[in-house]
Amino acid sequence: MGELVFEASGLTKEFGEVTALRDVSLSLSGPSIIGLIGRNASGKTTLLRHIVGLQLPTRGQARTLGVATRNLRHEQLARIGVVPDAPTFIRWMSAGEQLRYLSTFYPRWDLERQSFLAGLLDLDLQADISGLSTGSAQKLAIVAALCPRPDLILLDEPVSNLDPIARDQFLRLLLEVVQEDHATIVISSHVLHDIESTVDWIVCLNNGTVAADAALDDLKDQYAEWRVLARTRDLPDRFADAFVVRQTVMEPRRARLVVRTAGADVRAFEHAHDADVEVAPLNLPGLFPILVDNGRH
Amino acid sequence: MLITIDVHSGVPAYRQLVDQIRIQVAGGRLQPGEEIPSTRALSAELSLNPMTISRAYALLEEEGLLERRPGLPLVVRARSGATSATARGEQFAKALRPLARMARQLGISGKEASDALRRLIDDHER
Repeated sequence: MGELVFEASGLTKEFGEVTALRDVSLSLSGPSIIGLIGRNASGKTTLLRHIVGLQLPTRGQARTLGVATRNLRHEQLARIGVVPDAPTFIRWMSAGEQLRYLSTFYPRWDLERQSFLAGLLDLDLQADISGLSTGSAQKLAIVAALCPRPDLILLDEPVSNLDPIARDQFLRLLLEVVQEDHATIVISSHVLHDIESTVDWIVCLNNGTVAADAALDDLKDQYAEWRVLARTRDLPDRFADAFVVRQTVMEPRRARLVVRTAGADVRAFEHAHDADVEVAPLNLPGLFPILVDNGRH
Repeated sequence: MLITIDVHSGVPAYRQLVDQIRIQVAGGRLQPGEEIPSTRALSAELSLNPMTISRAYALLEEEGLLERRPGLPLVVRARSGATSATARGEQFAKALRPLARMARQLGISGKEASDALRRLIDDHER
């Protein structure tokens, strides 16, 4: 427990003129389910590829399971499970044959888990790979990634092609796997609703930089929405209070703000602006624009 | 122990869990010595991240509300009557705060508010 499974310091990745990752410093350790979030082209997939050494830093360091990623060998790779955004398999095999073939590379391949997962996700192991739907191919990729009982599991948009029931079962499964194997699971997704119900940690990228790296619950503690209603006189055009992070609605009689809760005193604010404040918590979809903004400053 | 967590409400899940256990202990629904479900069992029941549950349990342990015994399930620790009364009062005051705010916004006096609350409690007991 507590082993550092991935560590990046000053990691920068350039593709010609484009900087995909910019001075990323990050430590991931388990057991944990980490949600990797960010807008399109924020660097999520590039970061995942750096973790397994599929791409190497232009500058800076990246270490996975204690080894510099350029030196990762079978010994480390056998401890990593990956579900890529577009999985590919050997087309002339059946799903079951593909799994049997893969199992020969992994000393810890768990056959019991294989049949359990196939049943849970309703995956037909007799089916030919060439005939698999995108959803079934994704299920096969999930089974293939989890059967070696890896210490580190990387999931790139794993639920995008699953139906709602398979999706729910898959997310519950992650909760079990993290406990059984003390694994570190990194799941990248745009479906913040799914991320929110599963993860304990958030890494948010924006334009290739780390915009947030914190426990999800701590982020929820750190920010709140204030709905401000004027009592007798109009509200100011803008609130200059240092803890106000965002002003989304600004009208003479009402305002909607996002505040940093540290140092934000509701009563003092109400008194100063002659207004009533209703405090509401922010869920992950509500937090997301603020986290992304943080990366911009 | 019956717990309901809404992971999308914006209130940190560990805090929802801590608050509900505090209330159940303060109200006597969880009795001293009673066993608390394991992290694994509660995670499976609520589909809740196990690290979140561990965090809540650790906090309650630190507060002296739960007791960890090596190799055994967590149990509710015995508390003196006085502490329990204070705890109940605190929990209730916390729940009333948003209502007090609403009363002020609606221009409802303290007397009107407490009369309304009394009526609701009496109705429930009848």
